[in-house]
Parts: sequence; C-alpha cells; structure tokens
Amino acid sequence: MNTFMTILSFIFAQEDPAETASAAGKAIAVGVGGGLGAVGAGVGIGIIFGKVIESVTRQPEMRDEITSIQWLGFALTEACFFYGLVSGLIALFLA
Amino acid sequence: MSTTRKILFGAVGVWLLFVIIGFTGILGSAPRNEEFAPDEEFAIPSWIDLPGQLDINRAVLYLVISALLTCITMVYIANRMQARPNRVQTAVETLYTLMRDNITRGNMDDKMAKKWFPFIGTLFLFIWFNNLIGFIPLPTAAHHVEVFGLEIPAFALYAATANISVPLVLALMVFIAYTAEGIRHHGPLGYLKSLIPAGVKGGMAAFIFVLEVMSNIMRILSLSVRLFANMLAGHMIILFMSGGLAIILGMAGLGFALLPIGLALYLFEVGLVATLQAFIFATLSAIYLGGSVAESH
Repeated sequence: MNTFMTILSFIFAQEDPAETASAAGKAIAVGVGGGLGAVGAGVGIGIIFGKVIESVTRQPEMRDEITSIQWLGFALTEACFFYGLVSGLIALFLA
Repeated sequence: MSTTRKILFGAVGVWLLFVIIGFTGILGSAPRNEEFAPDEEFAIPSWIDLPGQLDINRAVLYLVISALLTCITMVYIANRMQARPNRVQTAVETLYTLMRDNITRGNMDDKMAKKWFPFIGTLFLFIWFNNLIGFIPLPTAAHHVEVFGLEIPAFALYAATANISVPLVLALMVFIAYTAEGIRHHGPLGYLKSLIPAGVKGGMAAFIFVLEVMSNIMRILSLSVRLFANMLAGHMIILFMSGGLAIILGMAGLGFALLPIGLALYLFEVGLVATLQAFIFATLSAIYLGGSVAESH
C-alpha cells in the first residue's frame, strides 16, 4: 500500500496521502466514466449503422424511413456516453 | 497535379512546419499552467443584479437572442411567402414539413398533432437556434482582452443549452405537458392505470407500475442531460483541441498539432450534433405526448 501511495504521489505531485488518494479517485472516475461510456456507446453506434447498411441493402425502397429512425437511434445511443462522462465530471468537480 | 491538390499539399506542409517548430521549443515553452481553469469558460457571472435569482448573465443573453431569432426569422419568412419560393423559403418549408409530418404527425394521431404541433415546432426551432448560435464566437467571455487600450470581453463559444438549467426547464415543461394531456384524456386514476401494460395482473402489475413511474421521472433526467451533456462536451472538446490543452500543458507544438482535430470537431458539432439534438428533443417530446394518450402500450 505504501509503495502504491508513493507512486501516486509521484504522479500527482502532492505530499498529503489523503489528497493524493482523492486526486487519484477523481482521475479514475473521469477515466472510467468517459472511457467505459465511450466503449459502450461506440459498440452501440457501430451496431446501429451496421444494421442500417444491412437493411438498406436488403430493402433500398425503405431508405428514407430507415434514415430517420437511424438518427433517432444514433442520438439515443450516443447520449449514453454522455451520462458516463457527466457523472465522471461531477466526481471531478463537485466531489 | 491540380490546383486544389497543390493548395492542400501547401496547407499540410505549412501545418507540419508549425508543428515541428512548435515542438522544437523555439516559440518558447512554459511549465504547466495552473491559472487557466477550463470550467471558468462555462461560468455564468452575473452582469446585472436583480432581486432573487433573476440576474442577467450570458446564458440569459443567449436565450433572449435565440428566442428573438426564432420569432423574427419565422414571422418574417411567413409574411413574405410567395407562390414561387426562393431558396430560403424552400429551406424553411422543408423544415416545416419535417416538423409537422415527421416529428409531430409521425408520433401522435391527427387531432392531437394539430393541437400540439405549435409546441413541438417551437421547441425544435428554439433549441436549434440555441445550439447554432452557441457555435458563433460572441464577445461574452468572463475575461477581458485589451485592444488598442479598449477593454473588451474575449470572444467565446457558449450555448445556453450547455447549462443544465435550460434543458431541465424545457424537459420539465414537456413532462408537465404530457402528464396533463394524459390526465385530461384518461382521468387521474385512469392515467395511472394506463401506465400498466394491458394483460398484466396482480403483484406483477404493482411492480411494473413502480417501474413505469420511475421511468417517467427518469425521462426528465435523460431528456435534459442528453441535450446538456452533448452541448457541454462538444464545446469542451472544441476548447481543448483548439488551444486549451496547449495552454494548460504549456506546449506550443501540441496546439498546432491538435488544431485540425479541433476544426473537424467544430464542423461535426455544427453540422450534425446541433441539429440532431434539437430533432431528438422534439421527437422524444412528441413520442411522450403521443404515448400519454395511447390506450395502453
């Protein structure tokens, strides 16, 4: 544990262990919130556009209808990334 | 080699030159900048003090501008409608058709669509203008720069929708609207009953009811946070990519290296996200309004 704290205080350039742990926790919060959120949203957006390509090639006459639903799905999926990011930012600035 | 390609190669060459010069440290380098706080770019200091919480600040200015823009442009174009439309009228007519047919009529029956189209349309246009003027640099920043002895506020990108309170109020408005419409249609008890899907009985119904009430409350949160976080994250990433990171870390080369990414993200935000978020907000409001009067879902 002591070595871990030493490494952390080296990274964050702070003397007080409690403050170091707090800074590390905030950094982890932003990283996990933004990073894992981006992973999930990225997979979801990939699935949506993949399915859109698939269905437009199957039924080209449905293209207009599919396009409008596609943007709805895209924005709803993309928003999930921001839920994670915002909770990370809340931890960074308000905690 | 065509002229466009020559210009492109020239631009890339100049950019590379600046990146290399920046990283060699000729332009000077500074230690980590502790004074620059990125969250101050989104702070809203009070400009005119009014009693209570009614202070005028930059968010209020943006709201007023976009409200005026929504009213004036649309009324002006509506008053100058011609049988043979010019380009602007065609664009606005396309927008009108999108709002009326796709957003409103696509999600509720015709009688309701007639009643609620003005609300949904105004919501769409207001949020859209709000998002778009957020990408025009206006002299509203909290810090000042000196130009020939004159103190003027620095130009800044800011959107009223990048502040949680504005989307939250809009989302609450939508929540109240669809709850009131549902209660008017079903009656107070009938509305609560209509939350439970048909064919669910007994203990399961109580469980589903709690879930549905929770999801109704979560709708306020998701509707407001979606718009707010999209705009805030968009502005933030533009800020960091086009100079913010270079200033914080004190590396000139990084600023040049990241500038193209900043430009690309700016175009992405203006071209797609600003319109898409307004569209999503209006569409979801229409879906919620239509769903609240549906018999049972």
